[in-house]
Amino acid sequence: TLPRQDEPNDYQDETEVDELITRATVAPNDTAKLELLSRVTEIIIEKQPALLDNFLDEMLNFQSDSSIEVRKYLLEFIELACKADPEIIAKIVQNVRLMLSDPSVGVQKRAIQATSAIYQTVLGWLCRSKTVTDEMENAWTAVNELKRYILSLIDSDNDGIRTHTVKFMEIIILLQTPSETDSIMSSEFCLDQVPITVKVARPRKLEEDAKQLFEELLKFHGSRHATSVNLMACMGSITLIAKLRPHFMGKVVAAMEKLNAILPPTLERSQVSSVRKHMKMQLIALLRHQRAVNFCDSITNLLTDLGATNSELHRAVPNWDEIRAEKRKRQR
Amino acid sequence: NRKDELKIAVICSSNMNRSMEAHAFLAKKGYNVESFGTGDKVKLPGSAPDKPNVYDFGTTYEYIYQDLLTKDKNMYTQNGLLHMLDRNRRIKPKPEKFQLSKSTFSLIITCEERVYDQALDHLDTSIYNGVWKPKNTALHLVNIDIQDNHEEATIGAFLITELVAILSSADDLDNEIDELLLEFESKHERQLLHSIMWQ
Repeated sequence: TLPRQDEPNDYQDETEVDELITRATVAPNDTAKLELLSRVTEIIIEKQPALLDNFLDEMLNFQSDSSIEVRKYLLEFIELACKADPEIIAKIVQNVRLMLSDPSVGVQKRAIQATSAIYQTVLGWLCRSKTVTDEMENAWTAVNELKRYILSLIDSDNDGIRTHTVKFMEIIILLQTPSETDSIMSSEFCLDQVPITVKVARPRKLEEDAKQLFEELLKFHGSRHATSVNLMACMGSITLIAKLRPHFMGKVVAAMEKLNAILPPTLERSQVSSVRKHMKMQLIALLRHQRAVNFCDSITNLLTDLGATNSELHRAVPNWDEIRAEKRKRQR
Repeated sequence: NRKDELKIAVICSSNMNRSMEAHAFLAKKGYNVESFGTGDKVKLPGSAPDKPNVYDFGTTYEYIYQDLLTKDKNMYTQNGLLHMLDRNRRIKPKPEKFQLSKSTFSLIITCEERVYDQALDHLDTSIYNGVWKPKNTALHLVNIDIQDNHEEATIGAFLITELVAILSSADDLDNEIDELLLEFESKHERQLLHSIMWQ
């Protein structure tokens, strides 16, 4: 097709979106529908954000679509829309809440992920503005309700839902704690960016909340009925936290020691191998962290027990012996 | 189409034999599959055990094919390397290093414990590129040991294809994978390694 001579204006976009949504409603298959919807997203979020409000309800109607893929896509749209205009959050919260109980587990998991993104969006929004409006306060209350619901899913019967809940907890903990000088990477957003002036989300309170979540994560890590997948997911989360928020490292190493001493009795032989290997890999990665020197005896004992050779230790930290000797000297 | 939903990567050391055999099998069955190597270099047997043919990742299968053809057509025909490279160049242009890939997957199958370790190590933190932001795509990493020779690669490709068929037909993979892997292990009397990572 030839490029249009005249610049497209709002009116043309509006008509186009209208038409795209109508076509999506009657689209013969998922692929066609998703293509049309992503075109709508492109226009009302990137090209003409002023139209977002007009078409939000029409988009949200796709929540009752029979296709799982379309419902998952709607969550992606919701994430993007909240980022583009946080004021809509109060309107979409109920939709997300319903999708957290969607008949499809896949949609539920996608809704958990979307909530962590929306949560970060609201927190960022609060931090950027000078005053907290009623809309902001309502949005914050609403996402916190979603959060509370998701946290209760740690006891879900579904393994995958529990895994995603663990990930959700990890994300909230990292968002709500400050960076440290020896964090191994910087964060896109974390407590550093939360000014003390935000009344509804005081940094001290957020950090307190994160610490409590971390304790709950440790409890899950030590539970006797955790499956191998969830043990490994949780182990991955707590070691990532230790690397980014090293003041948690002591507790993480202690949790690994405890787990290594008694693995859940429900694990089969090959699952034990997988869990032990996962633990070994995580500990070797932890060993590379400069704060690990404070826990070097525990970590090396654990690693030796897990079958790590001296050369593996030295490959991770070439001057490991010197570091340990130095530490001993200081202790004397 | 369930086959499309699972984004699969098969990884061995050089992305030549084991991963490519499985790549060919899976692609033929209609799966959404890519293949990789985790080694530093692409290594192929040479004129003597201490003289392997070594190439950088990114060298095309075509180039390696021509190179071996020039070096010793007879020997590389007899040991099957030319045949293998001919197969490979019909699948994709060149061996790819997993650590450099930007794709996301839902299932990664490695063919050797060392490769599994390297993949796990890469997915652990290096994928963040120094800046943490939430990673939400869960992926299952499964290792099945396959010896690096032609016959074993073929047997391995059968096993991998069977495993992928089982996993892709699960209604809720995250919830069922533990059980499915255990069943597979006892049926084939092979031990698998498994873990869950995020991308």
